Amino acid sequence: MITEEKLKILTEGAKYDVSCSSSGSSRKNKGGMGNGYVAGCCHSFTPDGRCISLLKILMSNHCIYSCRYCPNRADPDIPRAVATPEEICELVIDFYKRNYIEGLFLSSAVYRSPDYTMELLLRTVKMLRTQYNFHGYIHLKGIPRADMGMVRQAALYVDRMSYNIELPSERSLKLLAPQKDKESLLSPMRALTQEKAEYAQERKSSLFLPAGQTTQMIVGASPESDGQILRLTQSLYRNMGLKRVYYSSYVPVVHDSVLPDKPVGQLREHRLYQADWLLRFYGFTADEIAPEGENLPMDLDPKCAWALRNPQFFPVEINRAPLEALLRVPGIGAKSAYKITEARRFAALGFEDLGRMRVVLKRARHFITCKGKYYGAKNESAVRGLLAAPAERAEQLSLFSDRETALAALTGDL
Amino acid sequence: MIYFFDGSKEAFLTAFLEAFPDADAYLTCTQKQLSIGQESVFVQSDEVRAAKAERRLLQLDKNSLSDLSLLLRSGQTGHEQIAYRYLKKIATEGRPVRKMLADDDVVAAVECMNRVRWEIHRLHGFIRFMESASGALYAPFSPDNDVCDLLVPHFRARLPQFPFVLHDVSRKKAAIYDGKNAFVAPLERAEVVLSADEQGWQALWKRYYASVNIPSRERLKQMRGYMPVRYWKFLPEKISPSDG
Repeated sequence: MITEEKLKILTEGAKYDVSCSSSGSSRKNKGGMGNGYVAGCCHSFTPDGRCISLLKILMSNHCIYSCRYCPNRADPDIPRAVATPEEICELVIDFYKRNYIEGLFLSSAVYRSPDYTMELLLRTVKMLRTQYNFHGYIHLKGIPRADMGMVRQAALYVDRMSYNIELPSERSLKLLAPQKDKESLLSPMRALTQEKAEYAQERKSSLFLPAGQTTQMIVGASPESDGQILRLTQSLYRNMGLKRVYYSSYVPVVHDSVLPDKPVGQLREHRLYQADWLLRFYGFTADEIAPEGENLPMDLDPKCAWALRNPQFFPVEINRAPLEALLRVPGIGAKSAYKITEARRFAALGFEDLGRMRVVLKRARHFITCKGKYYGAKNESAVRGLLAAPAERAEQLSLFSDRETALAALTGDL
Repeated sequence: MIYFFDGSKEAFLTAFLEAFPDADAYLTCTQKQLSIGQESVFVQSDEVRAAKAERRLLQLDKNSLSDLSLLLRSGQTGHEQIAYRYLKKIATEGRPVRKMLADDDVVAAVECMNRVRWEIHRLHGFIRFMESASGALYAPFSPDNDVCDLLVPHFRARLPQFPFVLHDVSRKKAAIYDGKNAFVAPLERAEVVLSADEQGWQALWKRYYASVNIPSRERLKQMRGYMPVRYWKFLPEKISPSDG
């Protein structure tokens, strides 16, 4: 059994990684313990409001690199530890058996060398699958500059892999993570995407990273605008086929002259996630959401801001508008849009019907008509006044105040 | 008129037929005090009539009975009446109605079913097994809805080698998997002798829970929203907060 002290060190080193999602894999239990749960599953929630789905832990927090923002970087004198593959495997099995976790999220600092670390990770996941007969979810962090042969092999055992892009531009990466460069992060991602496509062609995609790849970047440690970040995100979705891009608003754990002293408000992170949802589920493009050099507005959600910039599309008639048009109405999410398209097949919907169906009308009322009748404010400036959150309230908005993110968080998709 | 029944599906369907012509029918299995002047009747389950109602409902909507099963498991006050109004709507419309999402009776039923489904999903995460000396797993819990047996397939698929007991302590019943078969049995109290390592693993789990938190980003309201306090008393990580 691993010691409490070691578990603490290796968890604290891993906890700033955002992803804890356990969704997207339907791996079967082949005569051992565990299986995949496509929708994902949250097992607990910590006082910071985040879900615990996977056991998120480092193999080691000894690092030869010195990324300026990272608590595990080489120079400081902090407690260090290395786990053995057996310790990790036992921990996973005994936690999983008690239903504490949905699986493992294994990451590591670069211990001795990229290859040495990757080999340790590979040995651990292989051992877990073959000797411990574990078929639950495994998310493995890729080690930049490690031998691709080992990375490919690991991909045969795990459900998801991720390389963290770390910062939204090459310049910032050079400044803050001098031993990593864009290619050391992007080329393995590209290689894995390509190999997954080959498996898919032979209809064997369940054998190779069934839950695909994700990545994460720190927001606010460097000067990139939201517009830039969203363009990068869009290209990662389109060209790399990533399942998720995570944003982590910068938390200063390290004091350094090149880093901001203050944490970035979580509202910025929240707006980026809202915009990310618009890209993935609502048919928006980065160009529509934010101009390249600009940040997202803080007082309005990005869909609302887009709608106010594009009054020519509104109001839409709830009884006739196609699904794509409904999805663009501020305040109407995927679920509400679906409910409207189903319910209107039985009878024309009035404003009160929408309320009864639990469609949130606070924002939507200004952008729709029901049976031709408009229920919103008279002109744009009135709408803007009604919708904008006052600055101090906006700061307090919950990170997951919109329904879709909340749902995703609950199903372990965050 | 108030129609009492014993909570079983057969009795519900008998009461359903009995109440059908009555415009002011109210179906319930709670023996609450009646207000003066309210007429009531206790409907005895009638297998033949219930089977007839069942056949007819299945003709009209092949999923109507699985909906009914979920609705009868609900812990919400008035769920029997919600089920009655919903099935009555299917019978009067003569077809599936679950997509009539602007209809009050349908909205009430759909929301009631979703709450049951949602709790099942939540419990897939919030169930906590402890390991007994024999290696069997035991999980006490107290769900809002009567769902212990519906959790079995999920855990059976992941832990086929481990016998387990899902103990609904408020309803005093348990869903039991003995390593081969699963069944439901009344269970008042369980005496469990824990395995030698159980406390050790619980301590590690509490340590993990404390370490993975980011104290500078405290959001207690959010935590309680996702993991309501009523579930905490069966979660080791919330029972006695670890220091670290």
